[in-house]
Formats: sequence, structure tokens, C-alpha cells
Amino acid sequence: MPASPRLGGAIPSAHAPAELDPLLLWPALGLLFFGLVMVYSASIATAEGSRFTGFSSSYFLIRHGFFLAIGLVAGVMAFQIPVRFWQQVAPWLFVAGVVLIAVVLVPHIGRAVNGAQRWIPLGPVNLQPSELMKLFAVLYAADYTTRKLADMDSFRRGFVPMAVVMLLVGGLLLREPDFGAFVVIISIAMGILFLGGINARLFGILFVVLLLAFIFLIWTSPYRRERIFGFMDPWQDAFGKGYQLSHALIAFGRGEWFGVGLGASVEKLFYLPEAHTDFLLAVIAEELGLAGVVGVVGLFALVVQRCFAIGRQSIALDRVYGGLVAQGIGLWLGVQSFINMGVNMGLLPTKGLTLPLMSFGGSGLLANCIALAILLRIDYENRSVMRGQRV
Amino acid sequence: MKFSQSPILSQAVPAWRSRLVLLVLLAAFMILVGRSLYLQGFRNDFLKGKGEARYERVLEVSATRGRIADRHGDVLAISTPVKSIWAIPEDARLQPAQIRELAQLLEMNVAELSRKLASDKDFVFIKRQIPPDLAERVAALKLPGIHQQLEYRRYYPAGDLTAHILGFTGVEDAGQEGVELAFNDRLAGKPGSRRVIRDRRGNVVEDVESIREPQDGQDITLALDDKIQYLAYSMLKQAIERHRAKAGGVVVLDAKTGEVLALVNLPTYNPNNRERLIGAQLRNRALTDTFEPGSTMKPFTIALGLEQGKYRYDTPIQTAPGRLTVGNATIHDAHVHGVLTVAQVIQKSSNVGSAKIALSMPAESMWDTFDNLGFGTPLRLGFPGEVGGRLRPWKKWQPIEQATMAYGHGISVTLIQLARAYMVFARDGDLIPLSLTKVDAPPVGGKSVFSAQTAREVRAMLELVVLPGGTAPKAQVAGYRVAGKTGTAHKIEGGGYANKYVASFVGFAPVSDPRLVIAVMVDEPSAGIYYGGDVAAPAFSQVMAGALRTLGVPQDAPLQPISATATPDVKEEM
Repeated sequence: MPASPRLGGAIPSAHAPAELDPLLLWPALGLLFFGLVMVYSASIATAEGSRFTGFSSSYFLIRHGFFLAIGLVAGVMAFQIPVRFWQQVAPWLFVAGVVLIAVVLVPHIGRAVNGAQRWIPLGPVNLQPSELMKLFAVLYAADYTTRKLADMDSFRRGFVPMAVVMLLVGGLLLREPDFGAFVVIISIAMGILFLGGINARLFGILFVVLLLAFIFLIWTSPYRRERIFGFMDPWQDAFGKGYQLSHALIAFGRGEWFGVGLGASVEKLFYLPEAHTDFLLAVIAEELGLAGVVGVVGLFALVVQRCFAIGRQSIALDRVYGGLVAQGIGLWLGVQSFINMGVNMGLLPTKGLTLPLMSFGGSGLLANCIALAILLRIDYENRSVMRGQRV
Repeated sequence: MKFSQSPILSQAVPAWRSRLVLLVLLAAFMILVGRSLYLQGFRNDFLKGKGEARYERVLEVSATRGRIADRHGDVLAISTPVKSIWAIPEDARLQPAQIRELAQLLEMNVAELSRKLASDKDFVFIKRQIPPDLAERVAALKLPGIHQQLEYRRYYPAGDLTAHILGFTGVEDAGQEGVELAFNDRLAGKPGSRRVIRDRRGNVVEDVESIREPQDGQDITLALDDKIQYLAYSMLKQAIERHRAKAGGVVVLDAKTGEVLALVNLPTYNPNNRERLIGAQLRNRALTDTFEPGSTMKPFTIALGLEQGKYRYDTPIQTAPGRLTVGNATIHDAHVHGVLTVAQVIQKSSNVGSAKIALSMPAESMWDTFDNLGFGTPLRLGFPGEVGGRLRPWKKWQPIEQATMAYGHGISVTLIQLARAYMVFARDGDLIPLSLTKVDAPPVGGKSVFSAQTAREVRAMLELVVLPGGTAPKAQVAGYRVAGKTGTAHKIEGGGYANKYVASFVGFAPVSDPRLVIAVMVDEPSAGIYYGGDVAAPAFSQVMAGALRTLGVPQDAPLQPISATATPDVKEEM
């Protein structure tokens, strides 16, 4: 097999232009910039009508654009870093992340919005450690699994240490509370363990036990049942608990096949709370219709598919860490986007999760951009390995 | 350890797990697409309906209320655009200096403004209906959370002068009193409506459709003459002040057309500022308050006598000894006149003479005459609270009632009824309906109550009243022949006659071709003088003089007053 696809078998120079996976790059960039447009559209009315934003209609647009620029710069920088390095620092990043999440919970340091204490104020911006923690969890879980590949059959050595660490993080997240981040991080950790080859029987039993416990918990308490399944019929209490969801659903209904037109949403005019963050998809659905929703879902599916393809290729090249990181990122983006969109459509109870790559929020955008850069780096290194280069 | 023995090789990460997880994720995405398809393609009608229920509203598009003008086109009532200032308190976090500035502009108390802005409601009115230029200055402050909306406010340029005839509108722009109520259907117009989408703060963001175009109300041109109205108002005010009276009213009618040229009641109110309004100010006395007219009724009794052929103007009537006993009641004249002609009964206003004439006629014919003159029946001009007055069915009359009714007691009327009834003398015996609005052509074929002959004879007698030797020389108008009758009636209080009076004068001019009928009523003059000839007649004279000149009515008498101050005043009987 020739080391290079170039004709003449010339030895590629060390400075060959970086090859970026176009099937990953363009959908991801598409989502990022489409997100910028939709954040502006969804926020324009609330920004103009609120004293918190100084009645400036471009308040969120300017900030989101700024975060996106920072994210892209950070991504370019992250792309320069070899995957090996990420593996080396993964435990430390993870520890740093845990510390940050703990700091959030310290009174007077962490900042609360709508009863959830999730932010650390840093001058003009707020840092949301749980967003960065998702990335750190991917990097760490992949590192852990790579190191313990031999122990994947052992419940005590393979599963328990990871479970303990994740329950610690999960406990902190639930204190904020940030149930959404909890679900995403646990999914990432369990998913990477599963992908890393943890004993299938063990995993199956664990899965069934957790499921039974969950069912038991809801079955025994009508209150919890109500909390969990109350979302299914938002029209029962449409102006109380079902208010937000009912407006999201109305937005979908109004959008029909091709939407009411970009910028023409009515729901974003103070009816739908969190239109530019958690409920961005509802505004997309109203303004661009089913076509817009299918487009977004399709782009996410492409990105996730590429994550797993790159991951499998990496593992096939014996680069297990990179492979698990790539698939972990796929899990992260896939699970979080599914939950967010499912919440928007009334398939899942409201969680407080943003739509990755698109929703307003600096920390999330930064973490997403770095994750994408790492993915591209993994792919880049894969290609280099296939060409016989050292990485 | 050799590479070939590395545990990693034996521990190959299985690719099927990766495929499975990806498959699960893609399946989840497919579920999202399916759900979205269901919501947007099949459940869309239900959801859109829910949405419409939340933010579609049918807004009323207000029609502008018609203007009211007087007969010359001078505007008396107009809807002017005003602004109301409102706030979203949550957004309106103002600096203390800004609050002071706003309060100063709106002439409000700073504490009151702060209290309104601290409200926990979503919406508060700061100040309603302020002039547009002031609203512009408020807008120029560019305060956050402070908004404006356009409204219409009814403005009455003539203020208290025309308050009773015009009435006013309520908050919903619907007439509540006077012409505003009587002609509400024509003035109001029909509001249109349109379907709109509103954002959660109530701003209209999209016009869905116009359901109905608004139709502006029609303008109304009243019969009212604002110059005569002003004259009537100021003269009545003068009379009331001079005689320290409780209230009063003036009605000016055009005898040719039945138009109401002026209608004044005092006390009145400022319709542009009704904040401290009390009931007494609001009363449209000329239409809603009845009083015992007293001697102003005598001409009708006499006319009936003439009409039935039992009397001539010179038929002698014995009024001595100045009292007449009917049943167990006695009628008095204050002065003993002896034998009077029928004409002198009017001129001297003899109760005994009038009663004798009345008693010589059947009750039924007297009732018919009063009924034909419109007594006992509301005029139905459309004003609220119009009353008909008291006219008992003739079958129930006692002889004493018939006798007292002859001189205006035991019967009650409104001032406007009385003025209208006098049109029979001014119009050769026929009666036409009154009109609040301008009449283009005089009505033809009024209801004939008396013959022209009778009407002219009474007219001549009524002219004697204002001549020396009559009860009201003060009703004279230089340059015009005037006819009329005084009234001075005891008021009924608590079932008996109290020591309070209603002084009145009803008359018309010029006698040769009567054009105007004017009735003046002064309630409870308390400055010592209470005779109609002294209290009401001077006001009548002033209003009549001014009104005739205003209308350019040709003179029919020399300019020198005929009154001779040397002759002692003749006081009417009560």
C-alpha cells in the first residue's frame, strides 16, 4: 500500500496541508453557523424588550458570535495538539473539572439562574463548568478504559472504579442541580465502557437492574410518576406546568412543512421561554418547518455517524484511546442533541439541556468546538498513520 | 513483553458494539423525525388552534364619534386624539431623577408615581388621556418600560355652557346624557374589527385579516344657536346670583320651526372635567324637573273659555270679594279687583277670575286641552329622565282641583313643556313638535289646539301683561312688541305649600309675527323678591332682546320703552 495517495509515490513532506474530514467539518460548521442565525432570530424580541440586555436587539447575536469566534480559535489551537497529549492530561483535566463543579456549589462564588446554581462569574462572562465537564468526561473515560482494557471483564476492577468516580461527579451535578448534564455524563461514561468491551453480561445485568430500580421508584410514588410523565399531556395544565412545552408544541404545529419564514416566529415573542437556549429547535420548527427540523436532525446524524466511523477506524489502527474519544464525542453530541430535541417535541421530560453546537451559551460552544477539533485531529492522525507517518 | 503478547491484541475492542450504539442513536434520530412529522404534518391543525387561542385576538377598531355642532357649524363636541401613558413595572426601573422628571411632566406626585411603578402587575396606567404634545415630551425621555397608547377623548369647547343639552360620553365612548345619549346611534358609528396576532405583552405583531371596516359616526347639527345659548346662560346666571336662587332654567324655542335654540340649566358643570360632579349640577331641570307653573297656566284656561264661546275678551267677571270658596277650600286673590274683564283677569293675574272661568266648563274639555298642549306626557326628545308632569285623569277631579288648575296649581309641568305649550299663542293656535336638530324647512300642519281667532285674542291679552298696568313691564324689549305671562308659585314641600317660590315668565315676540318663545324659571329666589315679574321677566327681556337681534328679526315697535315707572307695579296673585 503506498504511503501516499499522491501520484509518483513521492514522500509527503512533514508540512503537508492538514487533511480535514469534509463530511465532519462541513456539517459541524453548518450547525455552528445555522445556530448563530437561529439564536439571533430567536432572541431578537426578548433582547429588545428586556432591560437585562439594555434593550439591544443584537445582544445575544453579538455574544454568540463572540463565543463562536473564541470557540473556532480554540478549535484551531486544539487541533495542533496530538491526541497522545490529551490522553496524558485527561486525568488532570478531569480533576480540574470536578474542582470547578465543586466551586460552583460554593455559596457566593457560584451564580444561580432560575434556581439552578451552574455558573462561575468571570467578569463579563459566566463559565459553566458542567459543559466543559462533558468534554473532560469523554477524555477521562476513554483514558480509563484504554488503561483498563485488560480488566474489562472484571466487575470489581473494570467497572467499580469508574462507577465510583462518575457517581461522585453525578452527585455534584445533581446538587446544582443539572440533571441534564448528569444524564449526558453518565451516558458518556457507560457508553465508553460498553464500547471499550466491558463484559456484556455484566453490562446487561447492570442495565436491567437499573431499569427495574427506576421502574420501582416511579411505580411506588405517584408524585414521581406525575413528575416524570406529566410532560406527556401538557394541555392538562397548559398555563402552569405545561406552559413551556405547550408553546414549544404550538411552534412545531405552526411551522408545518416549510415554516412561517425565517424571523416570523410568534412563539419567540415572549411566549416561549428559553427560545434561544433550550428551545431553539422549537423556533427552528416554527420558522423553517419540518424541513428545518429534518435538516438539523440530519446534520447531527451525519456528525455522529462520522464520530463513530472515525472512532472505529482509529481502533482498527490500534489507536484505542483516540477511537474511544471519537465515539465518546459522538455519544455526547448524539445523546445531548437527542434529549434536547426530544424535550422540544414533548417526547422527554424537560431537562434543561441545550442543543449542542447551536444553542446560546459560551461554555457549551467552547467545549463543542474543542471536541470537534479533537475529532478532526484524531481523523488527521488516522490518515497520517495510514500513510505511514509517525504521529 | 513482546508486542505479539500484548493483552490489547487478545482484548480487541469489538466493532459490533460501536455499530450497535450508532444504530441506536440513529434510530433515536429517526424517532425525532417521525415525531416532528406527526407534530408538523398531522397534528398541526390542533396545535395551530391552540396557538390562535393564545395569541390571536379580535381587536375592535374604534370608529370616530361624530361631531356635534350648533346651527352655524360651530363645534360643540369633538373627539380628540389623546395618549394614555402606561408602564410595565418590571421593565421600568427608573433612576430617582428620571421618576422626578416624569412626575413633573405628568404633574403627578412623585410618591404616587413611584408606587405605580413598584406595582407587581404586568401593566399599569400611569396617566390616562393626556394631550399629544405632552405625550411626545414623555416619549422623548426614552424611559424603559414606559409606553403609550392612542385613545379618543370627547372634548366640549363650550364647557359648562352647553353641558346639559350635550350631555357627555362615558369611558366606553357611549353617550350617557343629553344629545350624546339621545343621538348615540348616529354619533357612535360602527366600530370595525380585525383579527391580529399579539405578542405576550399585548403588542400587535401581525394583522391577520380585517373582519369589518369601521364606520365613523355621523356629525349632528343641532338647532342650538351658541350665541343665544350664551346669552341665556349669562342672563340666567345673573338672575340667579342677584336673587340668590337655588336653580333655574331657560328654554328658547323658534316658534316657526319648533327648534330648540337654547336650553340652559343652572347649576351646571364642566363636562370636560367631571371629577367632582354632584347630582344637582347634573340635573337637566328644564326636562326632568317638574314644578307647579302657577299663573303661567291661566292663558290656557282663558283660551279654552274663549274657544268654547262662553266668554269674550271683554266678558265681565266678578272677582270681589277676592275669594272663592269651592267645597271646603277657599281661593284667594291678594288684591281685591272687583269686576274684571277676561283680558284683565290675565293682565292682573286674578286667581278667582281664572277659577270661575274654569269651573264654568266641563272637566273633560279642560283635560283635553291640557293633554293636547302636551302636559302630562313626556316630550320624548330622547333625553334621559324626561318626565311628563302631573295631570290627573279628569274623571277623578274634585271641583277644587279644577279651580286651582286654572291658575296652575295641582298640576305640574316641565319648563320645556310650558315653553312648547305657549307656541299655540305664537302660532295661531297650532302646536308643532320640538326639534333638537336643525330643521331645514318649517314643519307643516301642526296639531291645532285653539282656533287662530282665540290664539290672537289671548296674544293680545298677554301683551297687556308687559304693558304698564300688567304684572311684568320688565319683560319689555325695546323695539319689539312682547307678550307673555308671569308665574309665581308656592312650592310644595312635605305635602303642603312652603314659603318657597318658583318665579317664572313665559313669553314670545314680536307679537305681530311671533318668532321666539322663551321660558325662564328661577327656583327659590331668596333675596326678598320672588315675583315672576321681578325675578324672571328681566332675564326674559334680556335674552329675548339679544336673541331677536342675533336672528335679525324685524322690529315691530318704537325703540322707546313703554314702561312708565310712575305706574305702580301690579303684582300677580298666588
